[in-house]
Amino acid sequence: MANQKPGKDNFTRNLVIVVVVGVVLLMLVPTLISKGTKTTAKIPSSVSASHGYGIVFNGDVKSVPVVDVYEDFQCPICQQFEKMNGDYIESLIKAKKATVIYHSLSFLGPDSIRAANAGACAADQGKFLDYHRVLYANQPAENSGAWTNLALTILGPAAGITDKKFGTCVNGGQYADWVTNVANAGAKANVNATPTIFVNGKELDRKTEYFNADKFKAAIERG
Amino acid sequence: MKKYSLWIGLLARVILGGVLFAAGLLKYQHLDKSQMAVRAYELLPISVANFLGITLPFLEIAVGLLLVFGAATRIAATIGGLLMMMFIIGISQAWARGLSIDCGCFGGGGQVAPGATNYLPEILRDTALALIAIYLFRYPQSKFGLDRHTSDGEQSNG
Repeated sequence: MANQKPGKDNFTRNLVIVVVVGVVLLMLVPTLISKGTKTTAKIPSSVSASHGYGIVFNGDVKSVPVVDVYEDFQCPICQQFEKMNGDYIESLIKAKKATVIYHSLSFLGPDSIRAANAGACAADQGKFLDYHRVLYANQPAENSGAWTNLALTILGPAAGITDKKFGTCVNGGQYADWVTNVANAGAKANVNATPTIFVNGKELDRKTEYFNADKFKAAIERG
Repeated sequence: MKKYSLWIGLLARVILGGVLFAAGLLKYQHLDKSQMAVRAYELLPISVANFLGITLPFLEIAVGLLLVFGAATRIAATIGGLLMMMFIIGISQAWARGLSIDCGCFGGGGQVAPGATNYLPEILRDTALALIAIYLFRYPQSKFGLDRHTSDGEQSNG
């Protein structure tokens, strides 16, 4: 094939180049657009765009530390973190000792996106924290596909959710655009792992403060 | 001798092109993660890193396919080689600065536990691929390629 004469028609070669480059560009452009933050996204209750689209607790309480929790409901390390520090964080919320903002990231796969959407539906029911707990207690293997919308709906009553709207919200992927916005906000905040915790905008020390309950408490109290 | 070199060229194209194509496809499936992988190198401003995280997989897929088809081999090999050098620099600086990250070369990426890093094999692999790219730049002729080397290969190879 390499012994072709000069001037031989290059049609096939040029066609392949045009097709490859063209198709890739045609895929890239819509991807870039769909990755943009969607200003028209439906937003669950207690979410504020100014807090990176996170679900906010005690947003109105003054002079307490602000704790940002970036997590993925599917991530096993988040589950370990929840086991160790979840109760403490919830106690801070109940005692109004901290503003806590949950950011449900979704980079692990489609199960994460469905779970984040369901979490937002639970927030509408005022049951985010309960549902949060139920999700971690029932976390399947990563990307097993076990968290279907049906499965996520069934977990609702375990968190005390009885309203039928919850199922509609989960099945309809009502907050799918919001999930994209949370992911974008996380990307802008330079979150490169889950869980990631910021206290008053400063990231905790990953080597020491995440998985030591005492050091974690100290870090939050230090503010 | 010439005969064998054409087969070597084919092998080089398939290896470099196949690796780039696979790496691009795996990243394409998790673009959020791909963006995170680029950010974790802590080398670029966040917005640039996020943009690169989305576009890089597409570039890898395009260059990979062109190499496998043997179309515009020399240009594709040049881009592939530059990408590999970029990866080597990125991984080396992460290593030197003591970051704990996954290179995210084939999807994945982001911060990992200290001690779970794999920098040396990653750098060696990318170096080997960069050498293949340099070979293809120098000798773009190969078996079963679409390029007509009498017009765009041998001439400029002199």
